[in-house]
Amino acid sequence: MVRLADIPEPERTVIADLDCPAYEDTPPVKPPPPAERHVAIVSTAGFILRGERPMLSNETGYRAIAADVEDGDILCSHVSTNFDRTGFQQDVNVMLPRERLLELEREGCIGKAADRHYAFMGATSPPKLEDKARELGRSMLALGVNTVVLAPV
Amino acid sequence: MSGLAHYFEAEGLATVIVALVREHIVSMRPPRALWVPFELGRPFGPPGNAGLQRQVLSEALALLDQDCPEPLLRDFSDESIEIMDDADWRFTGTLNDASPRAEAAGVLPIWQLARERIGRSSYGISGLTPEAAVEFIERYHSPEPMQISKGMAKGMAKVSRARFAIDDIKAFYLEAAMAEGGHPSTRQLLDWFWDHTLAGALIREFQETARVSEDSNLELIAYSLVPAARALSFLQG
Repeated sequence: MVRLADIPEPERTVIADLDCPAYEDTPPVKPPPPAERHVAIVSTAGFILRGERPMLSNETGYRAIAADVEDGDILCSHVSTNFDRTGFQQDVNVMLPRERLLELEREGCIGKAADRHYAFMGATSPPKLEDKARELGRSMLALGVNTVVLAPV
Repeated sequence: MSGLAHYFEAEGLATVIVALVREHIVSMRPPRALWVPFELGRPFGPPGNAGLQRQVLSEALALLDQDCPEPLLRDFSDESIEIMDDADWRFTGTLNDASPRAEAAGVLPIWQLARERIGRSSYGISGLTPEAAVEFIERYHSPEPMQISKGMAKGMAKVSRARFAIDDIKAFYLEAAMAEGGHPSTRQLLDWFWDHTLAGALIREFQETARVSEDSNLELIAYSLVPAARALSFLQG
């Protein structure tokens, strides 16, 4: 088990001091019933597709990962030393559990796993992501997505 | 990540975060979050544990079925998962200590075995082969730095390529370390890489040179190549 207190210094202070701006409480969207949930995963691992330009620190854009992309073509361009990537190296689902989501779809626990998942660059100041996040939100809604699982690293 | 939740909800999407740092969630108050007790970088738990990944995802999605007049933060139901070393794990093969490039050349066939066993590789963000990545870093500060051919350039600044080459070198070695499987802890793998390979020493040396460099571009990455606790312990001898 790992809590912030278990992380060695000086990493602990770096993580504790990450930019966490205050937000007013956002009224939660009423989720659709499970069978109508169309679920996408959004990560902050800076995922890119093999051959694409890696994302850079503080980059505000996002990348899409289509459902038919092979695991071996998904690379992590968030290269901070503050988090482990050996788990991802062995198993994509550690960061992007798209196989597990498909299992939930097959078993009827959700309506549909999205055809695309997405990645932003972690450690970017949250307010700087607002424009692109809202743009992606509208784009996902247009594709029928109504539920998002957010997966930090 | 919590900021994204606020923005997506404001656009009409229901969200739930699988959170690794509880304190950040408490501070930023996203509508729904499941705190999980795993290492940073492993929001869905250890590799190869599909059952646990499935349990995390299911518990996160189940939060959508709860009323949340206030921000909802729940802890994952199983906090018993301990990080264990694998006493039987060893790196397969012998490292060639003649030079970093010779060492990398010797690791290459082991890495290829690992790729076959794992079925993929996460190597490749720098656009360089493993041997070229090592050579690029080894010659970076030399009077004759390695030239990148146009076909490999991809519009990447030299300092960015250095950062990504270093991450690729780590991926190359750490994937090779899994050639015969096992369940080594992250600490075991990183101890081996940083304390027992010439590649680890090369990166430490690169970071030290970058740290005192007058090149402002290098300063940007000078504290982000070696985990801070390890960099500190190396400096303290």
